[in-house]
Amino acid sequence: MYILVVPVIFAVLINVFSPGINDTTVEILLLKGENPQQAEYFKQFAKVELAESLEAAHDRVRKRDNIIAVLPGASKDYYILTQGNEPDYVVDYVKNLAAFAHFDIGMEDSAAEILTYGREIPPLKKLMVNTAMIFTSILGGMIIALNIVEEKTDNTISAIHLSPVSRLGFIAGKSMMGVVIPVVGSILLLIITGFGGINFFHVFFMVTTSCIISILIGFIEGINNDDVMNAAGNMKLLFLPLFGSIAGVELLADKWQPLFYWIPFYWTYKGNDLVLSNRGSWMEIMKYSGIVLGISALVFLILAPRIRKGLE
Amino acid sequence: MIKVKNLYHSYNNDENYAVNDVNFEIEKGEIFGFLGPSGAGKSTTQNILVGLLQLQKGEVEVAGYDVKHIKDKMFNKIGMSFEQSNVYSKMSGIENLEFYRKLFDVKTRDPKELIKLVGLDGKENTKAGKYSKGMKHRLTFARSMINNPELWFLDEPTTGLDPSIAANIKDIIKQENEKGATVFLTTHNMYIADELCDRVAFIVDGKIRLIDSPKALKLKYGEKLVDVEYLKNGELIKEQLSTVAESEKARIVEVISNYDIQTMHTKEATLEEIFIKVTGRGLV
Repeated sequence: MYILVVPVIFAVLINVFSPGINDTTVEILLLKGENPQQAEYFKQFAKVELAESLEAAHDRVRKRDNIIAVLPGASKDYYILTQGNEPDYVVDYVKNLAAFAHFDIGMEDSAAEILTYGREIPPLKKLMVNTAMIFTSILGGMIIALNIVEEKTDNTISAIHLSPVSRLGFIAGKSMMGVVIPVVGSILLLIITGFGGINFFHVFFMVTTSCIISILIGFIEGINNDDVMNAAGNMKLLFLPLFGSIAGVELLADKWQPLFYWIPFYWTYKGNDLVLSNRGSWMEIMKYSGIVLGISALVFLILAPRIRKGLE
Repeated sequence: MIKVKNLYHSYNNDENYAVNDVNFEIEKGEIFGFLGPSGAGKSTTQNILVGLLQLQKGEVEVAGYDVKHIKDKMFNKIGMSFEQSNVYSKMSGIENLEFYRKLFDVKTRDPKELIKLVGLDGKENTKAGKYSKGMKHRLTFARSMINNPELWFLDEPTTGLDPSIAANIKDIIKQENEKGATVFLTTHNMYIADELCDRVAFIVDGKIRLIDSPKALKLKYGEKLVDVEYLKNGELIKEQLSTVAESEKARIVEVISNYDIQTMHTKEATLEEIFIKVTGRGLV
């Protein structure tokens, strides 16, 4: 059951290792109570931290992160205190902010008009969340595989067959885990990582279609293995096409893309990308989930007789 | 309750039949013993009857259902205790029964009552994985009763159990039969078959060699003799007397009337002896 917390762990790790959607990477340290007006101004454009004293400010800047202090000089001017290893653009950004604050230049003074593609989400974070969503769908299949191995070890499948539960009902019941876990896991993952504003019906469509292939592989691995470790190990082989697809989409040129067309994860990744960007239409979502469904249906036709026979 | 006509089954779909032209009928309320050595075709026949194996050839009717077109509802009427215990090791005894009862559409028995019936009270909350082999076997046996089966399949129900528990299991089988359950008992233990069964079938190499009641078989195949030991003038005398010949019948009466009888046994055959006589094979 510990597998159920895996999506949550993914989400926490993603939050830790990637900048948040609304986060800025620039942090400025000011002296507490020295210039409240300036502090309010900086808060519009950066994270502001306040130090109790000059000594405390010096100690804070010497810490590992890239915080930059703007401190009062001997006369009425300010000096910028850094460790020295901060990126130049961060230092320049703080320099400019200090100058703008000094001359009281606000957003309304800008003559530039902003035109945007509307991509507000950091691409690395989107990639990580997308990967984690597909990974969660594989976990659903993995749970099915482990569950069937346990049923085989306990020899309980025959007992279930001697109850009014039909074989189809038994398979459907097991498959439910392979759907519910990815759907719930993905929703938790998206909420925790700050994607609460996207279309969750799109998410549901993409996740349910993408988990079919994992469910089928989960059944086959459960049937073919008598050992939990072997079943889990074989399920991990699914990570190969998963990571291959992501690498294909992100790193390879268009001419190489057809090499990945047979992998359902490839289409899921592309569909999820639209969903996470919140710019996919229903038509596009249906297209991607339809392709995944089609490939899964082909795999089902091949594997269904083996699954049925294996569960007898 | 069960009708089997010209039943054949081959595991390789060839002419090498594990079950070969088997025919029998079981009446409602009967305890029917299916006796045979390992590999005789007992389990294959039983698995076809309960739908665990697909019917290939023949006609089989179980509890009013045609096994060729098996209906899920049929399983509300039947119960099966497997030879190899098959319970969820990660669930406790009571959880196993609670889970299984939810699978049925009919009124089920109280799991606590069943736990007590098979002597597992006090251990009902222990994970089944920690049970001994005998305890698991009893839990499997208890589970087979959860739906009050009209037709009860028992595969070696007392194997691996100590004599007192085996006696308890036999009592439970008798009680359930008295309540109306029809029992299909698969075993190679002739003592249990002798004690419990109204009729037995001997199966060897996939073929039924004989079906009859244990009593009729004993009368048919047993020797009509009595072994008697008695004391005569302080000396132990042994005699074997016919229960058919008139002169020896009179001698039996004379011995009983005049001497101190030490032991007296009729020489009826055991089911195992009859089985060997009929099939030329042992029951192991």
